[in-house]
Amino acid sequence: MARAPERPILFDRTPLAVGPQETLLHALGRRGWPAVQRSIRYHRPRGPFCGVGYCTGCLVRVNGRPNVRACRYEPSPGDVVTTENSWPSPRFDLLGALDYLFPRGIDTLHGFRRPAWATRAYHRIVRRLAGFGAAPDGPGAPAAPPLRRTVDVAIVGAGPAGRAVAACLANAGVRPLVIDRQLHPPPVPGTDLLGRTTVTFLPPPGASGDARFALLGFEEPARGVEVRARSVVVASGGYDASLFFGGNDRPGVVTADGAFALLDANERLPFGRAVVVGGGDRVDTVLERFGDAVAAVVAPGGIEPSVVRRASDQGIPLYPRSLVLRADGRSRVRSLTLRPRGGGPRFSLPCDAVVLAHRRLPTPQLFFQAGARMEWRAGSGAYHPVLSDAAETTVPGLFAVGAAAGMLPGQDAAVGERVVARIQRGATADPAPLPRVPAEGPAELEGYYRELLLEPRSGRWVACPCEDVLISEVEEAHQRGYRGIEVIKRYTGLGTGLCQGRYCLPDALLVLSLLEERPPPEVGYITQRPPVVPTPLAAFAALTDPSAVAEGT
Amino acid sequence: MSALARPAYRAVVVGGGVLGLYTAVHLARAGAGPILVLERGFLSSGASGRNGGGVRQQWETRATVRLARESVAAYRRFGAEFGYNVWFRQSGYLFLAETDTELARLRAVHDLVVSEGLPSRVLDASGVARLVEGIAPDAVVGGTYLATDGTLYPFPAVWGLYEAARALGVEVALGVEALGVEVEAGRVVAVTTSAGRVETPTVVNAAGGWSAEFSRRAGLSVPNVATRHEILATEPLKPFLDPMVVRASDGLYFSQTMRGELVGGIAPRDVAGVDRGLPSSPRFLGEMSRALVRLVPRLGPVGVLRAWSGFYDDTPDGFPVLGTDPRCAGFVHANGFGGHGFMLAPAASLRVARAAMGEATDLDPGTFSPARFLARDRPTSVERLQLG
Repeated sequence: MARAPERPILFDRTPLAVGPQETLLHALGRRGWPAVQRSIRYHRPRGPFCGVGYCTGCLVRVNGRPNVRACRYEPSPGDVVTTENSWPSPRFDLLGALDYLFPRGIDTLHGFRRPAWATRAYHRIVRRLAGFGAAPDGPGAPAAPPLRRTVDVAIVGAGPAGRAVAACLANAGVRPLVIDRQLHPPPVPGTDLLGRTTVTFLPPPGASGDARFALLGFEEPARGVEVRARSVVVASGGYDASLFFGGNDRPGVVTADGAFALLDANERLPFGRAVVVGGGDRVDTVLERFGDAVAAVVAPGGIEPSVVRRASDQGIPLYPRSLVLRADGRSRVRSLTLRPRGGGPRFSLPCDAVVLAHRRLPTPQLFFQAGARMEWRAGSGAYHPVLSDAAETTVPGLFAVGAAAGMLPGQDAAVGERVVARIQRGATADPAPLPRVPAEGPAELEGYYRELLLEPRSGRWVACPCEDVLISEVEEAHQRGYRGIEVIKRYTGLGTGLCQGRYCLPDALLVLSLLEERPPPEVGYITQRPPVVPTPLAAFAALTDPSAVAEGT
Repeated sequence: MSALARPAYRAVVVGGGVLGLYTAVHLARAGAGPILVLERGFLSSGASGRNGGGVRQQWETRATVRLARESVAAYRRFGAEFGYNVWFRQSGYLFLAETDTELARLRAVHDLVVSEGLPSRVLDASGVARLVEGIAPDAVVGGTYLATDGTLYPFPAVWGLYEAARALGVEVALGVEALGVEVEAGRVVAVTTSAGRVETPTVVNAAGGWSAEFSRRAGLSVPNVATRHEILATEPLKPFLDPMVVRASDGLYFSQTMRGELVGGIAPRDVAGVDRGLPSSPRFLGEMSRALVRLVPRLGPVGVLRAWSGFYDDTPDGFPVLGTDPRCAGFVHANGFGGHGFMLAPAASLRVARAAMGEATDLDPGTFSPARFLARDRPTSVERLQLG
């Protein structure tokens, strides 16, 4: 097979070869499990987790720029990449002692108050623990002038649902602009496609008095993007959720997204005996892609017949209705301890990875930011926008399709037709209810967590990996009388880190709902503040700089 | 909403932010009797949970310097007093001057602050550069620096005060809104709330951005104006900036928190009125980012993690309104802080509590009293250092 020349870079002063269109994470994964980070408070070993550019597991410094996600970065020849937040190295970090010295956690709210004369020393010590990367060495290369586009229809997300709407629009003679976060989204026929671009509604619709939507954001690494559109279709899809258990932040515990991000072009993975958590479609996909690297499937609930069939074809044992209690191992997960739900002895499965594929969460940020009315849908255990039969949100001209909208899979084309009919003719031909996940019933995982919270615990249960907030801190805040996710978030710091709460708040909402004995919607919304992902100051600066006006085509 | 515990209270405090809670604590400690605090949202949902955490003593007027100095002392002992660590880090406030005129203005502040016994210093450009690593060359001509100013982490102050108030027997009603005040013969007799009516001879208006609206519900016109102020936080970085930095010309301010995030805003305060909601604007994100990157170019690649906004409660002369309204006995103001309520709360709330108990305070009536806006001679003293 002919291969393009590899790109030689330096990783922690050692040469590393990176293939064409290969991310830094891929290249690192070829050498084994990438150990590149430490956690913020306890300096626990961390590695890639989410694979989609949200979490803090693969942050590295590239050419003097901190907090670059290895899973989102395609190196250029000569790049100098270094690990940060550990000394002397992420594999052996002296501050890792904190994890042993504070088995019950570091209480920054109540601790460090006495003796008063030590205050300054405490401040210095605790402050040292802040941050992952150091401030940038310099301003970096000047970014290209911002890209400004005005279109009739913008589609956010080039996944199946977004593509279906794009295809319907193309049939109707409309050429939409498709915006997608992926580094290399496959082309969508009949559209203009902006890859590696993330946008936020700014200002929120209705706030500017403009009839058009304004979407502000950036193309990675730092080019400002401004899009104005008469209609916006959000097809932002979903992502694989985290799960609360002891040692859930161990290197080797990854989401299915994270595992796919580690698969290299030759479909090789830095693990061979994974325990996959889940029992639905997503597990099916995992087994299809790398079933030969899977040692067992463990499901919090039941297991779909399709998964049962595929697993038995591949000779993979199944453990339905299991509580996941603890991942053991230090710099790499070695085993996963389980217990059957409803009773039964604990047992451990040896493994070298745990792949979380039990729950796919919608990506709702844009709906919240647009001010669309949201509703709790128990079928996904998450908030989705309230929709008309034409998939229009309560914000006129803003549509929601696909997983973000809580649509059932396989309905994309039919939903796309309705959206386009509404955009084109102001009407929908099909008044039937949309095919969506159920709104009523017990929330997914509710019964699971009810049972799990009664289990004796061991190991660190990290609720919020970005800020190293433990479940016990959430429970303590509850015991002190604090109620509601907004207050618990401010009290514990849960959900205030770099992933903006994506991997902690959804499950924390379920846990709080059990503690507070009221349904999740009463525990609260999760305020989604702009931007959708951390956006460089330079990109925002250029977007409003009168001297840097450049019209895109 | 849950019902209130009593039919009558000695005082009802409207607003469960740092001002209201501190006032309630002072009242309870003085043995005032049953106290009720009404918070229409959740704890820290207002400006007490939305501010940048700055605490400074550099002001243009002696009265404010003194309130601020006393508040600094209170925040220094907050952990011992209330059991919560607010991480009050005295790393100084650095005011930047871009012109000699601005520096002269800062120098006047410096002289006043020094005369109050505070260790302010005037810095030249190289002195500033030593405190702000990576500042653009020729960005400033100099500045003033007061090392005992600082920043704190606002949330724990709210938790500490909330728990202290409750331990003292104060009833803090969350999610309960104060709807109006019943006045008879020029005296407060009751407060109507979303959880029912309660009798009280005293109501304290500590409603922050909503204070003018609440005063009007009591039939009192006030000159307070709510203005929206935006703020942003970046991704966390290892510590590299110690002081809170404030630029005199445009009110750009930023500091690095204990968590490593750069938190800051910029002066233009537009869009009056609490009814306008709290969206973030592209204008703010653009102006703020541009100002920050031009001043410290190395920050260009740093990611904005989140942006939010809150309400300032501004007064025409820049001073807060503290004390009993002369038009209505028992109606006590604790508002108009113009974005500086958190930093002045400990000292200001003590005077408010005294006023609420009908005692005399040591506050200069011409400066802080609500009566000053009613007097024929408008206030002559003005606090213009409304920055950061």
